[in-house]
Amino acid sequence: MELLATIEGLALVRALKTSFYAYPVVNAVHVLGIGALVTSVVLMDLRLLGAFGAISPHPFVRLLRRVALLGFGAAVATGMLMFAIRATDYAQMTVFLGKMMLIAVAGLNFLAVVRLERRDRTLTSPAGRLALVLSMLLWTGVVVLGRFVGFV
Amino acid sequence: MRHLQSFRTVRAAVAGVALWAGAAGVAMAHHGWSWTEDGFFELEGVIRAVYVGNPHATLDVDVGGEIWRVELAPPSATIAAGFTEDTVEAGDEVTAIGNRSREDTERRMKAVRLVIGGQTYDVYPNRVPPA
Repeated sequence: MELLATIEGLALVRALKTSFYAYPVVNAVHVLGIGALVTSVVLMDLRLLGAFGAISPHPFVRLLRRVALLGFGAAVATGMLMFAIRATDYAQMTVFLGKMMLIAVAGLNFLAVVRLERRDRTLTSPAGRLALVLSMLLWTGVVVLGRFVGFV
Repeated sequence: MRHLQSFRTVRAAVAGVALWAGAAGVAMAHHGWSWTEDGFFELEGVIRAVYVGNPHATLDVDVGGEIWRVELAPPSATIAAGFTEDTVEAGDEVTAIGNRSREDTERRMKAVRLVIGGQTYDVYPNRVPPA
């Protein structure tokens, strides 16, 4: 793909490719973003499923949703940088494509949660519970596939 | 009762996530040397592709029609050994010395030394075979 080769040739991307400091830092921010995202997602989902009953759900969920979105943004930005270094290879890697698909499904599940919340704020319906459990499974699945990307 | 019910759901969900994450925590390799055999291995072939970049440099080497993935050091160490993407081109012959995957069917090795056109590049100088 022409476009992928162009991305690989960008000055910033070429600098990152052989950098000694920048790449591990980008990698670390990717991990931090994912850590914030998955921790928030799991705590939010567990709260809505009925755990930590002493904590008022709505301020908790509002705060954690912000942290999750921030973490997701950081992970996407740094992920795109690391992808760009070897774009042609990653774009042909089954595990990588699987990870992207799983992120898309997790994103759709998030949209479903937002939609369900309008009618049922605490998501106590069977559909709501299913979406919450799926959310935890999908995001941990993304992390697991992400680890495999580094080793294939 | 309602609370008990939801607590059970939560417990089941947590157990499920833990299992799912644990089950996939296997087959981690390729950083470090744990996935390679201890004894030295030598591979001779024709370079098809070269990459010198993060997280580590690689060569794709054609050995009688089969492509081997030869992993090198991280880019800074590989470049410090004198090996860059401009050092070789596709079609050059290479001898890679290092350690191969413990997996018999896996055509993958980690090289400590490359010999190309009579020139030696020690990408892991402290791991090369004794002279």
